[in-house]
Amino acid sequence: MAADMRLPTIRKTVSLSASAFDRKDLVVPGDVITSDTGFMRGHGTYVDDDKLTASVAGEVQRVDKLICVRPLKTRFNGEVGDVVVGRITEVQQKRWKVETNSRLDSVLLLSSVNLPGGELRRRSAEDELTMREYLQEGDLISAEVQSVFMDGALSLHTRSLKYGKLGQGVLVQLSPSLIKRQKTHFHNLPCGASIILGNNGFVWLYPTPGQQEEEAGGFYTSLEPVSLSDREVISRLRNCLLALAAHKVLLYDTSVLYCYESSLQHQVKDILKPEVMEEIVMLTHQKLLEQEG
Amino acid sequence: MARVQVSEAEKVYILHGIRDDLRVDGRGCEDYRHMEIETDVVSNTDGSAKVTLGHTAVLVGVKAEIGKPRPTVPTEGYLEFFVDCSANATPEFEGRGGEELGTELSNTLYKVFNNKRSIDLKSLCICAGEHCWVLYVDVLLLQCDGNLYDAISVAIKAALFNTKIPKVHISSDDEGGKEIELSDDPYDCMRLNVENVPCIVTLCKVGHRHVVDATLQEKACSVASLIISVTHKGTITCMRKVGGGSLDPESIFEMTEAGKRVGKALHAPLMKLLEQEESLGKKRQKVYTCFPGLPLVSPQPPREESGAK
Amino acid sequence: MAGLELLSDQGYRLDGRKATELRKLQARMGVFTQADGSAYLEQGNTKALAVVYGPHEMRGSRSRTLHDRAVINCQYSMATFSTAERKRRPHGDRKSTEMSLHLKQTFEAAVMTQLYPRSQIDIYVKILQSDGGNYSVCVNAATLAVIDAGIPMRDYVCACTVGFVDETPLADLCYAEESGGVSSLALALLPRGGQIALLQMDARLHQDHLETLIEAAMTACKGVSKVLDEVVRQHLQEASVLTGE
Repeated sequence: MAADMRLPTIRKTVSLSASAFDRKDLVVPGDVITSDTGFMRGHGTYVDDDKLTASVAGEVQRVDKLICVRPLKTRFNGEVGDVVVGRITEVQQKRWKVETNSRLDSVLLLSSVNLPGGELRRRSAEDELTMREYLQEGDLISAEVQSVFMDGALSLHTRSLKYGKLGQGVLVQLSPSLIKRQKTHFHNLPCGASIILGNNGFVWLYPTPGQQEEEAGGFYTSLEPVSLSDREVISRLRNCLLALAAHKVLLYDTSVLYCYESSLQHQVKDILKPEVMEEIVMLTHQKLLEQEG
Repeated sequence: MARVQVSEAEKVYILHGIRDDLRVDGRGCEDYRHMEIETDVVSNTDGSAKVTLGHTAVLVGVKAEIGKPRPTVPTEGYLEFFVDCSANATPEFEGRGGEELGTELSNTLYKVFNNKRSIDLKSLCICAGEHCWVLYVDVLLLQCDGNLYDAISVAIKAALFNTKIPKVHISSDDEGGKEIELSDDPYDCMRLNVENVPCIVTLCKVGHRHVVDATLQEKACSVASLIISVTHKGTITCMRKVGGGSLDPESIFEMTEAGKRVGKALHAPLMKLLEQEESLGKKRQKVYTCFPGLPLVSPQPPREESGAK
Repeated sequence: MAGLELLSDQGYRLDGRKATELRKLQARMGVFTQADGSAYLEQGNTKALAVVYGPHEMRGSRSRTLHDRAVINCQYSMATFSTAERKRRPHGDRKSTEMSLHLKQTFEAAVMTQLYPRSQIDIYVKILQSDGGNYSVCVNAATLAVIDAGIPMRDYVCACTVGFVDETPLADLCYAEESGGVSSLALALLPRGGQIALLQMDARLHQDHLETLIEAAMTACKGVSKVLDEVVRQHLQEASVLTGE
């Protein structure tokens, strides 16, 4: 019950082996990457006087003839096919505006959502008027990027049963660069909860739904109280995610799971203490290194 | 405060969690988040402190100036408060956006701290009716993640503990007027007794229970909150209800009892920490004046000897 | 004229520096987690905190949206305890508004805004302690914050305030020198190309001395850019190592 007060200390980041340093090609804005005109320029670069120059601070990535610079931290730059978790900010005519941590709000068109019951029909004027019954301001959704507009805004769709309105659970907001790209972003973790790792850095933790709820179609949300054991698992996962993010560890189902296992010896609320975070992240690193080779 | 949006389902989840005494981050209903306190962070003030509570970060600076005492209480000095909700905390506070919140916060601070029961205002008097010390307490909000009152009150208590007011010598000059001399010695100063300075506890009513140290999400689920200032003896000095919802008398009584308990428990570890920090003295490793986080970088600027002449 | 000599016969200034010596510069990036980018910078006794939000959807007046570039929105404010005499209002006075406009102008020259049409980038700078060269320290801190936010820039923006005393240019003025009646010039430079983003002077100066003064300012800015470069590279090393698999 007592408050945990202490003097601040300079936090040390968990350090990896020295070999990690060598293979990185780090640049800062204004650095010339190459003067060879044979390369194509990608994100994070610009051409100045026939020289390819970096415009952000980060790591240079070369794919064949394409050179781009990936900054450490940036807003979400969506691509077609990315899974995102977003919050509805506005209900406009025939579309919703969704906040997805990108440089412009994303758009979810009325024609891109599944109607309840799975009907396939043309949207009528009545549908337009009852948009708020489906999704209101403040609601959370999981969706996929359908296309990218000219100015960079994303157009989302939820035309699959696995996407749609999200029910009870916890949202954790992190940086998009910490999420690893994988085949699937929906995971049912063995510890008893499920996770959606949105490419935009928003991670959604929720209790694993029972079998009978699978066919709901995305708009029915259960308001039944979640059991205490599930809650504890979700809270622990949330704190583990924050600990991993604070030490800049790439997030994917395996790393989250290892972190969860390493944290079991501590109480859930203690995980956010700096020394406990360090310890847990160290253990996770070790486990990941062992597993990889 | 900065607003966050919460969906209906999230609200239900948070409500049920609080009912079962397991909040989203694993805390119980009366647990505080991790708090870090550092004093003497701004060098051209007479006292300063920085408090980080979860993600909320508050910086307080105290400047002592000589002024005229209030006509109704000529033997006492006084405190002046100013809360700056800077745009750093959230873009909503840009321009005049943060003024409303700042005024509300400073009005409450006046009520809680600027009275003779919290601080010995008589010790701030230099010359009755003519000169007294006025302590300007400036609060700067750096990051906002809920529970501003608690963080600010802890920071003010720490800053007042850290305040060193120079000793004053009054001499009469030739014309019979009074001349005030400040002592030049930086160690010849007066310290304030902050024993009776209260700490503020904010209790938010969520569902049928109340929580201490609510995050912004929990605040969005609560209808009303109670702000209580508690001294180290457990005495309540000020109480205020905020928020649009209504509270019934039993819950107010319950929340008051809880506030007393929690508030009383804040003082002892705080004073111990402040004394420990003071005893480290010069050996204290200042966390780069303000910010923990990544290790600091301090390369030396190049000495340009052959510059333009 | 009695009083403190701004430049002694041996070539030392009030704080013991030589004429072209810069103050000690220390900085740290990524100090706040809630903002997109943040930085804290100290140059001598002047301390500034810069925070960047964005790019994000335009808030407030939609009419100010530009269809082909991002809008840069700056606010400069000072903490009330930052100056020796307590300031009554942190911002909103003429000086702060002018500074905000200057910052906006400076960063519009460097940030590649055409990559973000219809969005807004907010840059907020707060002076925690003021000891001269406020504008320059703000620009340096804001550069680090913009880099921390991952917003593309053509080059660093480095700034320095220089003054002219006894036929000698003094680099990086402190408050005592600024208020001592020195003709001061503030310069914001993009070091690699040598392009000037902002040039401001409000004092009397003979035309012959102008070129020398600008040269001195550019050299000082290049010195600042070296330090900022080190800060950014170190931050990159530390923060990126862990993200790798």
